[in-house]
Amino acid sequence: STLPAVAEELLREIKKAFQETSHVPDDMLLGLKFIFGPAAVPALDLVDQHSVTRVRSPSGRTLYQVLGSSGKLYTCYSSCHFCTCPAFGFSVLQKSESLLCKHILAVYLSQAMGACQELAVSEEQLTNILLAEEEDEG
Amino acid sequence: LCRGGLAERLCRLQNRERSAISFWRHQCISDDKIPSDKSGVLIVKILEIFEECTIQVAICQQLEQSPVTLSPEDALINAEEPILKVLFTRETAAHLKSRPQDVIHIYPPWQKLLLQNADVPVIMNTYFSQKVLLSEHSEAREKTYGPTKMLIRKNIISLAQTFRLDDLDDNLRQESSDNQVVCAPQTHNTRDSKRHPLALSAVNDSLLEMVESQGAVGWRDVQVRVVIQRVYCLPAREGYRSHTQGNKPLCTAPVTNSDPPNVRLCLLVQDAYGMFSEVQLQSLSSTDDIEQYCRRWEGKPCCLAGMKILQRTTRGRALGLFSLIDSLWPPVVPVKVPGQSQDSEMMTTNLPPPSFCYILTVQSGEIHVEVDEEEQISNLYQPPAVHGLKEILRINGCNERCSFWAQVLYQRLQTKHNVPIDQREMLLFVTDSSLQNVAHGIPKVVAVSVTASCVLSMETIEALSHGSHLFFKDVLWGNGRIICVERTVLLLQKPLLCSAAGADLSELTGPVRLDELDSTTQASSVCALRGTVVGVNESTAFSWPTCNRCGNGKLEVCPQDRELLYCNQCSEVVTTPVLKMQLEVFLSCPSRSQSTVKVKLLQRTISSLLMSSASEDGTYEMQSVLGKEVGLLNCYVHSVTSHPNCISLEEIVL
Repeated sequence: STLPAVAEELLREIKKAFQETSHVPDDMLLGLKFIFGPAAVPALDLVDQHSVTRVRSPSGRTLYQVLGSSGKLYTCYSSCHFCTCPAFGFSVLQKSESLLCKHILAVYLSQAMGACQELAVSEEQLTNILLAEEEDEG
Repeated sequence: LCRGGLAERLCRLQNRERSAISFWRHQCISDDKIPSDKSGVLIVKILEIFEECTIQVAICQQLEQSPVTLSPEDALINAEEPILKVLFTRETAAHLKSRPQDVIHIYPPWQKLLLQNADVPVIMNTYFSQKVLLSEHSEAREKTYGPTKMLIRKNIISLAQTFRLDDLDDNLRQESSDNQVVCAPQTHNTRDSKRHPLALSAVNDSLLEMVESQGAVGWRDVQVRVVIQRVYCLPAREGYRSHTQGNKPLCTAPVTNSDPPNVRLCLLVQDAYGMFSEVQLQSLSSTDDIEQYCRRWEGKPCCLAGMKILQRTTRGRALGLFSLIDSLWPPVVPVKVPGQSQDSEMMTTNLPPPSFCYILTVQSGEIHVEVDEEEQISNLYQPPAVHGLKEILRINGCNERCSFWAQVLYQRLQTKHNVPIDQREMLLFVTDSSLQNVAHGIPKVVAVSVTASCVLSMETIEALSHGSHLFFKDVLWGNGRIICVERTVLLLQKPLLCSAAGADLSELTGPVRLDELDSTTQASSVCALRGTVVGVNESTAFSWPTCNRCGNGKLEVCPQDRELLYCNQCSEVVTTPVLKMQLEVFLSCPSRSQSTVKVKLLQRTISSLLMSSASEDGTYEMQSVLGKEVGLLNCYVHSVTSHPNCISLEEIVL
């Protein structure tokens, strides 16, 4: 497959440009729009608002929590592309129309620009976040 | 969308691009010939097409010239031509309706991306693409393929394939910074860093320069010298707290008592150019330290290093922060002018107040805030200007920060259930000598709201219930209300340095007087009243026995002797129980004669009312209290209604 490698390279270039100049050039922003489509602008908005938090437990387990625009908190996994938002379930899983939802894209962009908030929690708390998602679906 | 943010920028770029695309397409249709400008045009022949998500990937051969200009014999597939992967969006693909063997002209602006582990370059942003039809070929194709829709293979992407943004380059960069350890000491050796913290690094005095030159990633090897204007605590970001519907924010996960409160110590600092920045430091384990930090750090110079930019905020987005900055403007000493020589300084009287402010935070694990506590207070420091409450009530502005020293008379908690103790909102009734010593015209007592965002130490919360004097630093005044919000600090002791501006910082001696109940009294206030009992609310009147030893109000009947009462807490029979009563009376008050005044009385008032009224069997005749005088009582006003004209109060102890 081609698209994931392209997306990864684009994000890497954004990270490099940002580290060197604190600035993301216009053509890279347009590249984001080209590859990720309608998720690009909302994802950037989430980054502007510093909505992404990396949650880490002592054992080294991590996950991401993204505060969505509606005020809801979504969980994105670190080890694979997964997000608890409905758009992920629909566009990515069901229709295979998108690579990522806006929250996962916001996670990557926040990583690239150093805009992730950091939160250290206990093992129990991390487990509870993961289990809480299960309860919601049930 | 955030103004000035990346999302807004992309929106603008995207709109421009869309207009350009539709204009170009329109032009192609109307011109009906290949546009003459050939510079930058990519000419490709499609070999294979497949789809991934909504992107169409076309494996193509790049052609040197347009096949139109070549004879049909030359237009054979030449294996030497470079291969490209050209991506088209769904919309462009629908427009092109490409098939293998089609030739596409791709006009600029397009982008080329070289992947790390692949030889084939990728072409993106291919909005300006046009299919070039070779008349003979197209006829032939129509016959072979017919007008049927071509089936395109769709690749399903695995979710397991995540993106790795770190690469070898990052590791190399880190190594090179380690090599600079000779020039800048690392923080791993904490012993050394205490003695010569950052002595070898260059010291700068401009926050703006640091921010602009080093970027958001972090400041390595350089320090900025600033003055600490204010020290306060901020609660954790709202995102973790206030949303409790449907989702599960972190704070509802079981939090044991050993977890620190969600409070961070923050500094408002100012550099030699007058620019402000808010620095968010570590989480505090105990909010009781805030008073210590204020005393030791405010006004002192300080060196910042290893900071990370959390946010660049503006006046419109951070009203609370800017109201505090405004209270410190203009600077009390001349500030430097950027770009000019060291010696030139600007008189500050006409400088406009700042319109933006950087919020900085420490890089995780490294705390680089070196406060020189031994040094003298800086000339740039502006201590809080303390005023009497009387003056504050006369301030004309809105969202002004002000400070005062006052006695807390009464505290009313606005409790909601399930809200932890440090997130409660409350109403405090305070006074000082400027209010007490005036005869008429201004209230004797003023209400101060304390919102949940104002961080209070446990010591302060204790002191509030004891009617102590407190120093209210940087509260917000506006619309006739005094509010304690974020960045307001309540201190038990007067600050060492404050410009008193004629305010009387002495403590009140002697009894405090409240305003008397009158026609202007409103709900959620306190007042004093006197009147005559004209009725009793019999439906709410009741009494119950309490233990004379421990005050336990839940006595039980002795199983052995049903005439006696038993106290569980003392584990003994109560022979002489103390009778407690709840009584609400209706009063006629000459100061507010139009209203029905209903007061829930305190025990001691009830006792004195009923003292001479007991009948022989121990019950009380309600008739006997009618006509009795009560007052002067201090009360809290619960509610005021106009139809019927009624005011409901509760007697309180100050």
